[in-house]
Amino acid sequence: MPEEMIAIENINKKFGDTEVLKDLNGKVEKGQVICVIGPSGGGKSTFLRCLNMLEQPTSGKIMFENSDLTSLNESQINQLREKMGMVFQSFNLFSNMTVVENVKLAPIKVKKMSNDDAQKLALKLLAQVGLAEKADDYPASLSGGQQQRVAIARALAMNPDVMLFDEPTSALDPEMVGEVLKVMQDLANEGMTMVVVTHEMGFAKNVADEVWFMDGGVFAEKGTPDQIFEHPQNERTQDFLAKILEA
Amino acid sequence: MKKIMSWLMLVVTLSVALLGGFAQPSHAATTGTEDSLARVKAKGTLVMGTSPDYPPYEFLVNRGGKERVVGMDVDIAKKIAKDLGVKLVIKQMDFDSLLVALETNKVDMVISGMSPTPARKKSVDFSKVYYKGGQSIIINKADKGLYKDKDSFENKSLGAQTGSIQYNLGKKQIKGSKMKGLAKISDLILALKSHKAEGVIMETPSAQAYVDNDPDLAMINGKFDLGSGENDTAIGFKKGSTSLVNAVNKSVDEITQKKLTKTYLKDAGTYMKTNTHNTSMWHYSGYFLKGVEYTLLITIISVFFGILLGILFALMRLSKMKLVHALGVVYIEFVRGTPLMIQVMFVYFGIGLFINIPALIAGIIAVSLNSAAYVAEIIRGGINSVAKGQTEAARSLGLSQRQTFQSVVFPQALKNIWPALGNEFVSLIKESSIVSIIGVTDLIYQLKAVQTATYKGVIPIVVAMIIYFILTFSLSKVLNHYERKMKHDA
Repeated sequence: MPEEMIAIENINKKFGDTEVLKDLNGKVEKGQVICVIGPSGGGKSTFLRCLNMLEQPTSGKIMFENSDLTSLNESQINQLREKMGMVFQSFNLFSNMTVVENVKLAPIKVKKMSNDDAQKLALKLLAQVGLAEKADDYPASLSGGQQQRVAIARALAMNPDVMLFDEPTSALDPEMVGEVLKVMQDLANEGMTMVVVTHEMGFAKNVADEVWFMDGGVFAEKGTPDQIFEHPQNERTQDFLAKILEA
Repeated sequence: MKKIMSWLMLVVTLSVALLGGFAQPSHAATTGTEDSLARVKAKGTLVMGTSPDYPPYEFLVNRGGKERVVGMDVDIAKKIAKDLGVKLVIKQMDFDSLLVALETNKVDMVISGMSPTPARKKSVDFSKVYYKGGQSIIINKADKGLYKDKDSFENKSLGAQTGSIQYNLGKKQIKGSKMKGLAKISDLILALKSHKAEGVIMETPSAQAYVDNDPDLAMINGKFDLGSGENDTAIGFKKGSTSLVNAVNKSVDEITQKKLTKTYLKDAGTYMKTNTHNTSMWHYSGYFLKGVEYTLLITIISVFFGILLGILFALMRLSKMKLVHALGVVYIEFVRGTPLMIQVMFVYFGIGLFINIPALIAGIIAVSLNSAAYVAEIIRGGINSVAKGQTEAARSLGLSQRQTFQSVVFPQALKNIWPALGNEFVSLIKESSIVSIIGVTDLIYQLKAVQTATYKGVIPIVVAMIIYFILTFSLSKVLNHYERKMKHDA
């Protein structure tokens, strides 16, 4: 019996009068990798940001480990956010801290870990993403791919139950995409639950357990990579994939 | 929230103080029993307000590097204090602040070569006259042939102390005269020498003192039409201080009978000679050092509180709570929309009606509150300049809003605003000089003291200018050092 991690129930999101998300539903099980694909402006990032309440859904429920995030207060949300790591398109490393300080910050501040323990943990995670030697550098001196790997290590430092990736390779030069995807693939192989918004169809095909195709604020089609990429049923999915393959 | 409440309280107190300020005279008049003498005796001190730039009445001497107020008026005050059996305390301030100081109980009496004119009598009680001077005009010696008396100054520009009798005399009795009012006699002499004014009207004994000590000056008899009181000098008290005035009048009677002013004037003359004996700036280095000490003290404390309060007001202004936001906006806009000089006077005299705050503290409060408004705007800009993604990343890791601000947003904001903040500190060193108007002995105040003591106008200005530059330049260097240290990105 697979264990349910996140359940999305009838999520709506409006920015002013614009409906960005329309009645979304979905389930993420423990250990699953979900890839959310679709055209730009379709609501993918907004959906992902609703999962850890960086955006407040206008209506609907988000069940995470049996609590409804939309009904919690500020400090309860903070507690649950610890368990949801997030990686951003633009890395968002703290520019006032060194690489290792970036990774240590949340364990020390939120988990009240001692500096020594946090340092050990951070160095271990940096080694895991192949950046142990950059520990004392400032983010500005790192390449985009390196910064994104640090960002992943930073999120992992909180030992999250699920990792959310918001187009993690979109801001990277092409030659750096591979190193980041490799780290993500390793994570998936270790059994990390992941929700990945991405334009990397190869990654979705190879790593995802399920692919959710999103367009116009709705999940137009959901299925295994094989179903979505080889036998798309929805017209919009077919259009989208045709355009991507042309390019 | 607690902090905000206490700020609210302060705002309320300020408004009450303001209204109270207007209501004060009538209130005082209705007070039944008059206890001015009893109060002075109870506290054991008699506080004299004076503007010590008016030799031989009152001026500063350099005693082993320390300044002291001396002169005929001080001798008179000492006698009065002795007769009353209390200790004399001398408070220095600008001449035009003296009457306000009386009204707001900053001083018990004013002895500052002041004439009991009908206009002044409306708001102040005066003792009997203790000295009858005359009004003279000081001119440049080179112009001696040009001017005979007041009538030679038709359509010419003349200098006099702001708020003084002499200023009104010049204005009313000399046709087409262009009056220049400055707070300090020393500045007037400077204006005379640089031909900004052709003559300076002052009381004969003072004029004599300046002429005796400066070979470039000469004096002529003004031949003014002097009405009642305008030739006289008396001691000023707060309206309604009948018992104190009566007690002091006994001393004045004795002074008149025994012709003590003659002795006092002779003493003053001796002081003036020793004063001009050594007029090198080095001899007065103690003055300047004290000025630097106070200027730095005011600046450092004000920077500290300015930043603390500035952060508070910046956060208030950025707050989503409407009332808190509005309070922040009102404070910042109001403080930025009024001159620091007025704020300084308001804190000292206005709030001083209710709580007696020393001038130094009042100055620090005013400068801190003023700086806070500017720092708040700088900090607000800095916070807004930090990319939104930084906050989101921190929040996504589970950091609270407060932790995010402390660890991520504020350090980055600080780096971004450091040059602007540095600018504010540098200008604070300079702008804090405004506190000299309420008698805080900062660098500007000491500069004027040295000018008065040495009868030299320009050299003390140059010295002060160099000192200010050294202060601001060193501060800039220090700030640059930290700016480089904070720079992590190319």
